[in-house]
Amino acid sequence: MVTFKIERFDPDVDKAPYFKTYEVMAEKEMSVLEALFYIVENLDGSLAFRYSCRGAVCGSCAMRINGKNRLACQTLIKTLRAKTITVSALPHLPVIKDLVVDMDHFFAKYEKVKPYLINPSPAPAKERTQSVKERARIDEMINCILCGACYSACTVAATDPQFLGPAALTKAYRFLADSRDAARGERLKLVDGEHGALRCHTLFNCAEACPKYIVPTYSIQKLKGGLYGKQS
Amino acid sequence: MLNNLKKESILACQSGVGMWAFLLHRLTGLALIFYLLMHIMVISTSLRGPHAFNQLLAVLTSQPFIIADLGLLAAVLFHGLNGIRILFFDLGVGIRIQKIIFWAVIAAAALIWGVTLYLTLPFIMGK
Repeated sequence: MVTFKIERFDPDVDKAPYFKTYEVMAEKEMSVLEALFYIVENLDGSLAFRYSCRGAVCGSCAMRINGKNRLACQTLIKTLRAKTITVSALPHLPVIKDLVVDMDHFFAKYEKVKPYLINPSPAPAKERTQSVKERARIDEMINCILCGACYSACTVAATDPQFLGPAALTKAYRFLADSRDAARGERLKLVDGEHGALRCHTLFNCAEACPKYIVPTYSIQKLKGGLYGKQS
Repeated sequence: MLNNLKKESILACQSGVGMWAFLLHRLTGLALIFYLLMHIMVISTSLRGPHAFNQLLAVLTSQPFIIADLGLLAAVLFHGLNGIRILFFDLGVGIRIQKIIFWAVIAAAALIWGVTLYLTLPFIMGK
C-alpha cells in the first residue's frame, strides 16, 4: 500500500486548496498516473487530472510529484522510494480543478516566438534538406513536448508574468539554430527586451524539471549571445 | 473564474543547487552592499582626524569583529566565485555541468576560508 496525498481544489466551491489522502494498492511497475486511475476508479471519482498518451509523449500529465515537477506517466512509484507520495498541480499556474492547470499563458507565450519555420524562399520540389551536422544542433530542443514542467518551475516566470519562459525560449532557439530557417533577425527581436531571454537568471530550475532532460538554459544563453551579436 | 493562482513561495520551485546558488548570490550581494555602506562610514571617520580613526580601528580589530570578518570573507568568497560561475554561463561555457561548477565554487570557497581561519586563529585567541 502506498499513501497518496493529493491536492484538491475546486475554485467554485473551495476557498483554498487542501490535501486528501488515498491508500493505493500499488503494483510493482505502477506509474503515478496509473495510481491516479486507481483512485478515480476505486476511491474517488471526483478527482480531476489531465492525461492522454500515457507514454511521455503528449506532455499532458505534468504535475508536482514529491516536490518536483514530473510527468505522472513517466514516474514509477518505485523510483520515488517513498511511502507517501504527494501530488499537487504545477506550481505558479492558475488551477482549474485539482491537478488541472490553466495553460493559456504558457501557450500564448509559445505563440509569441513564432514556433514555425519562416523561410520566404520558394520551397524546393522535394524538401528543404539538412546535413546530419546541421540537424544535430537542434536534436535536444526538438524533444520538447510542451508539458509546462519547466515553465512552472521557473522562478523568474513565477515572479514576472510577462517573461516568455524556458519552453518558448527553447523553441525560439530551436528555429534560430535551424539551418532551414531564414528569420534570424526577426526571431532575435521577438526574444529581446526585459521580458525576453535576458530576463533569465540561470537558476536551472527548468533543467531540473524537464522530463526530456533538455537544458533550456543552454538555448537561452545562446539567444542572449545572439542578442549581443554573437553568431551561434 | 480563472484567477485561481495558489499562493506559493518562490521556493516551491526549488529542486536543485542552481536555485540555492541564485538565492545565496542575492543574499550575499545584499549583505555586501550593507557592508560597503558601513565600510564607507568607517573610512570617513578619518576625516575627523587620526585620533578618532585610530580609536575606531582599535575597536574593529577586537575579537568579535575579527569573527565577523570571517563571515564577511565567506560572503565575499561565495559571491565572487559564484559570479565567475555565472560569467562562465554568459560565455556559453559549462552550462551542462553547472552543478559540478557549483560544488567547485563551494569547495574553493571552503578551502580559502579554511586557510584564512587557520591564519586568523591566533588573533581570535588573543595572539
